[in-house]
Amino acid sequence: MTTPDLFDLREIFDQQQIMVCFNGPINAALIEEIGRALRDYLNHQQEQPSAVADIFAVYIEMTQNIRRYADQHPELAGAASAAIVVSREDGHYVVSAGNVVNPDDGRELLKRVDELAAMDRSELKAFFKAQLRQPREILNGSAGLGLIDMARKASRPLVATVREMDGQRSFLSLRVVL
Amino acid sequence: MNDLELAQTPSTPAVRMDHKEGRVFMAGDSYPENPFEFFQPIIDWIDTFLKESSRPLAFDLELIYLNTSSIRAMMDIFDRLEEAHQGGRQVNVLWSYDPDNERVGELAEEFKEDCTFPFAIAPRS
Repeated sequence: MTTPDLFDLREIFDQQQIMVCFNGPINAALIEEIGRALRDYLNHQQEQPSAVADIFAVYIEMTQNIRRYADQHPELAGAASAAIVVSREDGHYVVSAGNVVNPDDGRELLKRVDELAAMDRSELKAFFKAQLRQPREILNGSAGLGLIDMARKASRPLVATVREMDGQRSFLSLRVVL
Repeated sequence: MNDLELAQTPSTPAVRMDHKEGRVFMAGDSYPENPFEFFQPIIDWIDTFLKESSRPLAFDLELIYLNTSSIRAMMDIFDRLEEAHQGGRQVNVLWSYDPDNERVGELAEEFKEDCTFPFAIAPRS
């Protein structure tokens, strides 16, 4: 195996306007550190404070969902690793993250993302408030609230894709355009 | 009953709960990995205060970013204040924020929608 050519890698990052890219095991300390770097970068770019707040919020919900899922699935090899990308596209910020999931959970998430995509702003708000009042046992561990919150902050419907890895595992990618 | 004081960290707010004054102060971001662990002592303090005395309870908030689990926990807190208010207790919330970040004001407004006790949202000048 050879080291990837850093010049080529840099070209890809530049072309795709990738500001933050992380791939590997994620934990609370890393989530915090990367989040801090992201916020500092955005503030430095003189971004609107409300835009910085939205990007940070989506980043936190996404990565904490992955952490929580990994904690609940210690048997799932690679679930504690996350691929996280924050980039720019046509004047919008895009936060994407991917992780290993059970194929069933991947399908379930696709279904939820489709349901959210069909809702307008006021329906999303009402759904969020209704979910907030669900008993903790039902909410616990579900990506429910986080996903709705992301959908509310996004400027377009969320996009999720699931790619089969080996029959027992799928790779789930979630993309949020702000 | 004791005062509760928690120092601010990047992912948890500063918290000062003053029993004698009947005042609660919270400031900063809140996105702890274990939100229920972080918020439980705060909720227990409020429950004890409301049970053991009939004095007013005032909240002075400068919270900025809350992740969804923290929003859930704050809703639990405001629900308790609402119940106390319905029972005749004097409670109030003052949430002040930097007007440059309008998301904080919007978040506070959404909480306020479900509360009938005095709930002031104040952009700091």
